[in-house]
Amino acid sequence: MLSFHLFLTALLPQEEVIATAFFTGYLLWAFLLLYAFTAHNVWRVWGIYILLTAVFALPYLLKFNLNHGY
Amino acid sequence: MDTRKYNIYFHTHTISGIIIAALLYVIFFAGSFSFFKDDISAWQKGKSAVAKTITPDYNYLFDSLAQHHNLRGRNFDFYVLRQGHGTYVNMSASQDTTISKPKPKKKEGGRGRRGGDDDSAYFLFYFGDKTPSSYAEGYDMGEFLYRLHFLAQLNQIGINIGTPFGYLLAGIVSFMFLFALITGLLLHWDKIKSNFFIFRPWSKWKTVWTDMHTALGVIGFPFQLIYSITGLVLIVNVVLIAPFSKLLYNGDSEKLYESLQYSRSMKTEYSYKPMTASFDMNAFLAKWQKEIKGGQISRIHIGSYLDQNMQVSMDTKPDPKASFAGSGFVKVDIASGKVLEQKSLVDDTNYIDWVKGLIYHLHFGDFGGIPLRIVFFVLGLMGCVVITSGIMIWLVARDKTNIPVYKRKFNFWASNVFMAACLSMLPVTAFTFIMLKTLPHIDQSVIYRVYFYSWLVLGLYFIARRDLPLMNRQTLLFSAILCFGVPLANGFSTSLWMWKTWQQGAFDILFIDFLFLALAAICGFSYWKVRHQAKSFSILSFKKREEKPLANKVV
Repeated sequence: MLSFHLFLTALLPQEEVIATAFFTGYLLWAFLLLYAFTAHNVWRVWGIYILLTAVFALPYLLKFNLNHGY
Repeated sequence: MDTRKYNIYFHTHTISGIIIAALLYVIFFAGSFSFFKDDISAWQKGKSAVAKTITPDYNYLFDSLAQHHNLRGRNFDFYVLRQGHGTYVNMSASQDTTISKPKPKKKEGGRGRRGGDDDSAYFLFYFGDKTPSSYAEGYDMGEFLYRLHFLAQLNQIGINIGTPFGYLLAGIVSFMFLFALITGLLLHWDKIKSNFFIFRPWSKWKTVWTDMHTALGVIGFPFQLIYSITGLVLIVNVVLIAPFSKLLYNGDSEKLYESLQYSRSMKTEYSYKPMTASFDMNAFLAKWQKEIKGGQISRIHIGSYLDQNMQVSMDTKPDPKASFAGSGFVKVDIASGKVLEQKSLVDDTNYIDWVKGLIYHLHFGDFGGIPLRIVFFVLGLMGCVVITSGIMIWLVARDKTNIPVYKRKFNFWASNVFMAACLSMLPVTAFTFIMLKTLPHIDQSVIYRVYFYSWLVLGLYFIARRDLPLMNRQTLLFSAILCFGVPLANGFSTSLWMWKTWQQGAFDILFIDFLFLALAAICGFSYWKVRHQAKSFSILSFKKREEKPLANKVV
């Protein structure tokens, strides 16, 4: 949830994304929680969560590192 | 939908629902009443805020403060009440050390516990009768119910986990509520169309509860979804804000709050040079009030009073009729009269204002006047009905012969306690309202004691009786009598009978009387119905029945 919105901050004005996350963040969070219950294989859930987090965090991490931490 | 998914939704819905049931009921019940927070305050104090327009006289406030304090170099914060008939005042110690004579002091923390050993002050001031009162004295039933609905009172029981316990609990309940809402909707998804109009009140009890639960749950779903999300944002948004501030603002949450327009830095330098001219606050406000065209000044900050560098900042909110969202801001240097910063209410409304306006107005229901509040109140009570019927479904679904007796006993015990706590809330609330008018002195601790002890006593009584139909009948009867007593108590103690408040145009006081009269009528009617028509049934050799008063109102 966090990394997804973090991903959006790379594309859109960040304070507006955060404000939007007030609604979408909590909803997404609840759905992700529900997904963990419905899944057949727990390991796959972990895998998907980690993969998604990594993918969405990529632009942020790149930006962060290219600018030497800022 | 395949059976596996259905079962998953079913169980997650049940578990998340039953865990939060009792607390969520408290939140919904108290929250519904706090739509009328301002009216309840007016009712309790016997001073209507709408009968006559009150012009805030800040000059008088400053003059009377100046009789006891040297005001030079102090900072003031005014948090103006929503109807503008009063304000919370936070006065700091003077920055002029020749006036404040600071002792070395420890840093104090904690919201709402301001004022320490220096001569700073925090109080509530009503412009109508021009009297200050401390927060605890000014505390009223509206404030109590309002704070109860986010469990603020639990903050005081001394569980120290770094964040206010009650708020955190309310936040967790809110999130689980959101989760239960989503699973509930998915669970019911296939039947949502076919069962939309199904309500079988003459069927067996379990069907009645199930229909009530799903029908009202589906009708109320958008409302409840909004409340779970906006509630989360309002009470525990820090869980969302903290990681963002870590990642995007290098941990500087002040800066994040500033860019989200929650706070602004309002620091002023104290120059030790007194301002030459005098300062007329009333004239100043009148000028800006005209500027913002129907908007309301919600907060005023005065930095370094009567100093060369004195600055006044104001936050303004638009009239909900004119604009749904928006926030204005202006900062003025008094000595030169220059406007340092300004954000217009009309032209500078941005996306963040919209989001916050949406959250705030949807949660407080303050954009459509009394009719909207009544609708929201009814929808809120519908939430209560969904919760209690949910408890009953949970109980009867587990009351089968193939389930071990010890489990059935525990289930009954749990729902007995839950129902006792929930159903006794209405009579207890009405009782406290009556006590407000009969006890000689009312302040925060009195309200706490009356409400919580009577709740405890009544709750324990019903738990001990272990009989749900009896609990239902008696709470209905108590509610009917006590709710009817509310306007009577008001009339006898203040002689503000309903016809008098009508004549005076004190509609806020009238409304509370009327509300309780209506509740009394509904409870009385339901009591009569339950006595004469309700079918009895039995589970586990104990008998039980559902609460009906609220259901009657909406169905």
